[in-house]
Amino acid sequence: MLELRPILSALWRHKVSALLIALQLGLTLAIVSNALVVIDERSERISRPTGLAVEDINSFSFLAIPEDYDKFEAFRLDLDMIRSLPGVASATISNHVPLSGSGSASGFYTEPNKETGGISANYYTVDEHFIDALGMKLTAGRGFSPEEVMQVGATSSERPTVAVVTQKFADEVFPEGNALGKAFFLGGDDHPIEVVGIVERNLGPWPNSSVAGRGVFYPAIMDQWFYYIVRAEPGQRDAVLKLVEEKLAERDPNRVINADTMEEQKAQQYASDNTMIKVLASVVILLTFIVALGIVGLTVFWITQRQKQIGVRRALGATRSAISRYFLLENLIIAVTGIALGAAAAQVFNGFLASEFNQPALPPIVTISCALFLLGVSLAAALVPALRAANISPATATRSV
Amino acid sequence: MLKMHNIRKSYRTDTIETHALRDFSLEVDEGEFVSVTGPSGSGKTTFLNIAGLLETPTGGEYRLDGEDVSNLNDRQRSRLRNEKIGFIFQGFNLIPDLNLFDNIDVPLRYRGFNAKERKKRIEKVLDQVGLSARAKHLPAQLSGGQQQRVAIARALAGEPRFLLADEPTGNLDSLMARQVMELLEFINEWGTTIVMVTHDPDLARRAHRNIQIVDGQVSDLHRATAPATAEIA
Repeated sequence: MLELRPILSALWRHKVSALLIALQLGLTLAIVSNALVVIDERSERISRPTGLAVEDINSFSFLAIPEDYDKFEAFRLDLDMIRSLPGVASATISNHVPLSGSGSASGFYTEPNKETGGISANYYTVDEHFIDALGMKLTAGRGFSPEEVMQVGATSSERPTVAVVTQKFADEVFPEGNALGKAFFLGGDDHPIEVVGIVERNLGPWPNSSVAGRGVFYPAIMDQWFYYIVRAEPGQRDAVLKLVEEKLAERDPNRVINADTMEEQKAQQYASDNTMIKVLASVVILLTFIVALGIVGLTVFWITQRQKQIGVRRALGATRSAISRYFLLENLIIAVTGIALGAAAAQVFNGFLASEFNQPALPPIVTISCALFLLGVSLAAALVPALRAANISPATATRSV
Repeated sequence: MLKMHNIRKSYRTDTIETHALRDFSLEVDEGEFVSVTGPSGSGKTTFLNIAGLLETPTGGEYRLDGEDVSNLNDRQRSRLRNEKIGFIFQGFNLIPDLNLFDNIDVPLRYRGFNAKERKKRIEKVLDQVGLSARAKHLPAQLSGGQQQRVAIARALAGEPRFLLADEPTGNLDSLMARQVMELLEFINEWGTTIVMVTHDPDLARRAHRNIQIVDGQVSDLHRATAPATAEIA
């Protein structure tokens, strides 16, 4: 038979310690549920599809030492050499490397000579191999022909007339749909640029920025900003990285070569997210452990304090299971009180995080799941002491302890 | 009512084995009031624990109300304690967090009575011990004698056939002790069998029969006011 009323009146007599544990549970629920929401948001952000063959791509840049160095000739020779190497699937040249943290962005308009109301997007200058080299998927139109690719030096005034854009760019700049064949303009300019192709996705150089996913690719090679982007055959990335680095240095020793894998660059972009996930996960584990420890401590303390009382209850006819049930029920009451307080605190805390730190809203299912989890932890923590209490001999009632 | 034959109880530590009861035999008839005396460490409490099913004997046979209870499991022993035996302890052993009503309610809840039945029984026994007006008081708000009367009420609420009292007046002054003893005698007159462990020879003499335990065995039998049977081991 459930002893709810006697337990409540016993708890009322020890309300301070019971309330402290309940508050500890409540606080844990408030923090854990909000931490999980942040962890989920960050994990989702990290696992977003990039639209790129991240695992297979290396990028290379060089710093030429001589001032009159013919970069365009070097690009041609380097890329021809790279594409002929074993393990290389494709190679392109670009002014920036996606996911690298370094890039260019501009405002784009559907009408000429506009200064406001445009949409910001990243832009890249690339050669005709860029779709294949980046491992992107062309969903509409075409890529670039070799003839379309311009060489843009510091004094060039020539501008591209065609572009390939990402689907997100197409959807947002041309919300009415069917972006293919349509023209867009740079801010304050009347030079039309026609969309000739659409790629499925490219998160761009700053995956956590507001422009992430909006990308424009021009058929051009710039001698001021340039990176070789090399996609290796699956599983060949590291070997290709080493080989290309060696061959570039071998072909022309008068330059300094820098090499990176796209995976490393992506990891750097998400470093703060990963750190946040690790810190919050540690907080969740630590808090849960502390709350469990608190419950074990309180239950053990109360059982020790009430050893004689347990013996008396056993003498009066309580079975072992009745004793365990008593302490588990007592713990359940404390836990439910704490969880009810914690659920309310979680919402208040979430409101604060949302308004001050732009954190996502706390879905009820997360609070409910955390509440059930903490309830389980609480009962598990009380289980061993409760089972030990059941082993207290009824003869304790007649002892002078 | 109670029949012990060659009961043995020993406690073992790493280095020593202590024999608390040795070939202990005793019979108590239904309706008897038996007092148990003996020096400290003689085995009185061990006898009481075994008689009250609080401990199991190491050997021997114990029949309570005709039933062999020597080898019952814990659940069966708990049920028998709850249904057939009432306990009165020297230190009262009331639960300090519960008021008088809830204290008396403890064994009735384990018995599985419904709320209405429990309330009826609690009010009846509180009335019998003269503490109806204090039902909502906590034990700490009562005198020692009143607390022991509550303990007696708790023991009586389940209407046990067998009452075990461990030094029921040990913590009381002489006036309170006399009142409690009168209450026990009154209860015995209703037909409840009582076995009372006491150090007080005056109280012991008021029982129908007094047995003395020395070194874990019944050493003496003294008939007081009513015929009784006992076996000396």
